[in-house]
Amino acid sequence: MSHWMFNCKEVSRRVSESMDHRLPLYQRMLIRMHLLMCKYCSRFRRQLLLLREFCRSPQMAEDFLDPTVVLPPDARERIRQALKSSSP
Amino acid sequence: MTQITEEISATNPNLDPETWVDQYGDYLYRFALARIKGQAVAEDLVQETFLAALHGRKSFKGQSAVKTWLSAILKHKIVDYLRKKNREQAIDDIDTVTQTVEGFYHSSGTWKIPPGKWDLDPSKIYEQHEFMDTLFKCLSELPGRLSKVFMLREMEGLSTKEICNALQVSATNSWVMLHRARAYLRRCLETFWFNNTKEENR
Repeated sequence: MSHWMFNCKEVSRRVSESMDHRLPLYQRMLIRMHLLMCKYCSRFRRQLLLLREFCRSPQMAEDFLDPTVVLPPDARERIRQALKSSSP
Repeated sequence: MTQITEEISATNPNLDPETWVDQYGDYLYRFALARIKGQAVAEDLVQETFLAALHGRKSFKGQSAVKTWLSAILKHKIVDYLRKKNREQAIDDIDTVTQTVEGFYHSSGTWKIPPGKWDLDPSKIYEQHEFMDTLFKCLSELPGRLSKVFMLREMEGLSTKEICNALQVSATNSWVMLHRARAYLRRCLETFWFNNTKEENR
């Protein structure tokens, strides 16, 4: 691979960085070129995006929960007292 | 200070701690119990969450729902708890994570441990209770600062700027930390959830 091109390590670092801020145009182009040729880096990118999608999905919080489970009354009371006694 | 909290409470009645236990107690307890299989621990984590929220509520800006805010606090508590519990697996310092991530590549910069194929339907992943368990387990292996930076960014959706303020790091530093956390977690999930153990010994 030519020296001016990014290698996989550089691409994966920048793929992550591109999820946090906008990279300069020339970097975006070099990454895109690399991704077209490299299935591993494409996979890396897809999986990081999937992980983000999962972490931010509302299902992450709701779907798995068993609605029949409730905070036991004694714990409820204990927590209420703890909140009361440490209220400013 | 009391006046400020009263003002907040007045504009946002949900911020009245008196009502929290009734409004969110069951939900937080369900969430904690789903991740931690122990009633007593789950109860303690819920209590710790409410207390942390009580002390930190001045910093709550009301951009998110109170429920989201409380569950974010709880998630950090769960990861901290798992880290303490599985101390043997937890990595203490960021340098070790850096070395692990560096080990994914040859010195030439090509992949040594390339990402495996994740055979899954993205819409199905949300139904996977085990996937979330594995994610929390993997998060608890990371040093506290790295799991925190990942959760702030990927779960809570904070911007780089907000993360820099919260953790007192530079923007560049936050990107480096996020890359390490993501790369480590990606591999950890692959190992424990996708069971692509074939590549492990390479």
